[in-house]
Amino acid sequence: MEELIELVMDKALEAGAEHCEARYQKTTGTGIPFKNGMTEGVQIANDEGMGIRVLVDGAMGFASTNTLTKESITNALTEALKLAKMSAKVRKNKIRFSEERFQRARYEVIMKKSFLDMSIEEKTEYLKLIEDRVKDTGINVPMRYLIYNELLEHRIFANTEGAWIDSTIPRVVIMYNLVVLEDGKTAQAPFVESAFTGGLEYIEADEPWARAEADVRILQKMLREGKPSPEGKLDIVIAPEVSGIAVHESVGHPYESDRIFGREAAQAGESFVTPDMLGERIGSDVVNVVEDPTIPGSYGFYLYDDEGVKARPRYLIKDGIINEFLTNREYAYILGTHSNAAARAFNYDREPIVRMANTYLAPGEHSFEELIEDVKRGVFIKSFNEWNIDDRRYQQRYVGREAYLIENGEIKHPVVKPIIEITTRALWSSVDAVSREVEFYPGTCGKGEPMQGVPVWMGGAYARLRDITLRR
Amino acid sequence: MFEQNDKIMKIAKKMGFGDVAILSRESERTQVRFANGDISISKKWLSKSTEIFVEKDKRIAGTELSVYDEATITRILESLNKVIKGMSPKEDYYGLAEPDSQYPDIPETYDPKILNADPAELAKAGIDATGLERVAGVLYTDHNKIYLSTSNGAEAMDQGTGIEISIRAFKDPLSSGHATSSARVLSKFNPEKAGEKAGEIAKAVSDPVLGEPGKYEVIFDPLAIGNLLSMMGRFTSAMAVEAGFSFLMGKIGQKVATENFTFRDIGNLPNGYGTRKFDAEGVATRNTAIIENGVLKTYLLNHSYAKKYNMENTANAGIVSPGPWNLYVEPGDYKKDEIFDVSRAIYITNIWYTRFQNYVAGDFSTIPRDGIFLIENGEIKGALKNIRISDNVQRMLENISAIGNAPEQIHWWECEIPVFTPYIRISDVGITRATQ
Repeated sequence: MEELIELVMDKALEAGAEHCEARYQKTTGTGIPFKNGMTEGVQIANDEGMGIRVLVDGAMGFASTNTLTKESITNALTEALKLAKMSAKVRKNKIRFSEERFQRARYEVIMKKSFLDMSIEEKTEYLKLIEDRVKDTGINVPMRYLIYNELLEHRIFANTEGAWIDSTIPRVVIMYNLVVLEDGKTAQAPFVESAFTGGLEYIEADEPWARAEADVRILQKMLREGKPSPEGKLDIVIAPEVSGIAVHESVGHPYESDRIFGREAAQAGESFVTPDMLGERIGSDVVNVVEDPTIPGSYGFYLYDDEGVKARPRYLIKDGIINEFLTNREYAYILGTHSNAAARAFNYDREPIVRMANTYLAPGEHSFEELIEDVKRGVFIKSFNEWNIDDRRYQQRYVGREAYLIENGEIKHPVVKPIIEITTRALWSSVDAVSREVEFYPGTCGKGEPMQGVPVWMGGAYARLRDITLRR
Repeated sequence: MFEQNDKIMKIAKKMGFGDVAILSRESERTQVRFANGDISISKKWLSKSTEIFVEKDKRIAGTELSVYDEATITRILESLNKVIKGMSPKEDYYGLAEPDSQYPDIPETYDPKILNADPAELAKAGIDATGLERVAGVLYTDHNKIYLSTSNGAEAMDQGTGIEISIRAFKDPLSSGHATSSARVLSKFNPEKAGEKAGEIAKAVSDPVLGEPGKYEVIFDPLAIGNLLSMMGRFTSAMAVEAGFSFLMGKIGQKVATENFTFRDIGNLPNGYGTRKFDAEGVATRNTAIIENGVLKTYLLNHSYAKKYNMENTANAGIVSPGPWNLYVEPGDYKKDEIFDVSRAIYITNIWYTRFQNYVAGDFSTIPRDGIFLIENGEIKGALKNIRISDNVQRMLENISAIGNAPEQIHWWECEIPVFTPYIRISDVGITRATQ
């Protein structure tokens, strides 16, 4: 493979490319879907190929192939060069990349409990554990869809500026959808995931089977005991699952520089944030939001991005002030800065674009109990199902799955479907206290065209929001 | 690629697999992406790959490969064999379908002129037609060949082309319009019309005001309702129903929509972006009424689900999971101006980010984007902003008040399954907005 990559670099420079990069990726793994107590069939992943991106006269071309021969790779390079030249003829503004210090590096995430050493029976056992724990509750759960997934990604990235990054990253996922039926009514916990970068030791420590059991008990409780959510102005405490989706949607996404400059306008949209908003207040001074790809074990983990830039934590909001955008080399150049290594591609056949990795609301000084104690009348929202946000990332909605009334500093009965529908500025300005405790929740973030679903973590601290108009 | 299929089939049979299905694919795809009126990147994908499905004693497994030497094929199939031995049987697997002996040619699915088209020029035609400076979008050309071989004797080949554009034009950051054009033959592709419509919508947005929450008569542009129907199409798969991702569970034979609503999946639809001659088991694709005159008639099925439910196979395999090819709303009697001829309504030109609180109950919300207009007595009275549709899918289907007479093909980034739909008007749609 090294020889093929070097061939691409040499030929690209010979052909007059200003810049060329090649990304080889091999993905292997196993997926086991399990529906209502039965294995649906096993899917073995076995994908391999190379993507080549070039800059010619300020225009960008990309081509990929899954035939790894000299002829096919040379053909892909020729196509990428041809497309870049075609674009250069009509492009008004030239694309330039920021200057970066590149390295040759190799890293591998070691699995303590490797899925490579385990049989299909052992892997299926994790799903059977969920199945058994759910059945043992005696609760009617007529629809149970479970998935085990493991992936091992080997990537080699090289560019004409001397970068050579060889990485091997395993990822493990257990996902479930459970539907509880009670007196003709349903309640659902969809797409609940336990997901990590590393081996199955993480899944075993996380015990998704215990969470599945708890989830069906909670869903039944919501159906049996849930009362209508209060409406109107009150205080809300959101748990890390909810603060996590909120920082992902209304902080991470609008701070992506490609959105800010309109590159995703026809797909995932633009941003309410403009470049001159750096340094502007967007939340109360207890709000700090961090984006960090380097957290060991995290689902969004990487040490070098897919442009070969070394990863580091990014501080998106500091003390309520917009501090930093997520950038790749193209937009770092426009912003007159260096890339903060947010370029990710989900496979060899996709271009690297600006993405999040692990986004979280940084911890504060309070305990969870202290957040609750100081609420006279409010709602504690522990988890959510429905959510969405407009394509400028300003008007969002989160609908609680598990939620409780708070009265005089105490958590009371469950409440059904409390709805937060609020602007980004109002949301982050209303936070008056943040907990010391943090938790993380995995997800697959979708962006780009064709779609690129990349693994991320979302989460952080519990937060207390004052004077929110809640609806039901 | 039948040669590769044969090689894989021989090795698989030698290893003692029962049912085997092999679907090889050669594809060449070009993309021109543009933003701010400029080309952001141009791309080419060259790919050759093969999906393999194997079965032994009702234990099933699948994989994909792109290297075809005997040693690699043997190694991959041996890995499937090993995996299968450790599995429990899938009791509701009933084998592969008997393939059809012939697959009729489907008009308007292949046009070699697309292969020689200049994507940058065509994208420029769309951009220029908007009449605006700030335009973003994407143009694709496609050329695919698929080759199916099954152990039940299917040997089928199909070849297709396609070309499509998705274009969003901005007058200013809060005034935008979006339109698309998708076709399998060049003569039906119209980037200028898409560009014009995107530009017209953007230009019509003037000083949008905050929408007021409430229940409204809503006119959905084909782009807007197409997104919702594309998602609904997924819910019609028997797999989605059993897995708890559908509001249609247990409703076959029941009324789920207004009686003038008929919703089809048409796998052999001329000019459909999802059209192909046969499904993954070698059964010829067909026209299936999923909802007919408001009554749910069938889920989308493959051979095993059809056997399980004792229903007719709808030729929508996926061997593990059936899925739609092209969704189609039967046109109604209303001309476009008649759809708009109401005393008061909201006209929604596009939506995105549809998410469910409960898939089985059908409760969801989705966000209008691009031009949103208040209509009074058939005329645009002003533009709105920052509203959300918060409703229930079945309730909306039951509240359809008018269906247009001219379906348009919708297929873009937010609408993965192609949908042919006209303008649709729905009564009492729940509208909410941010409280602060």
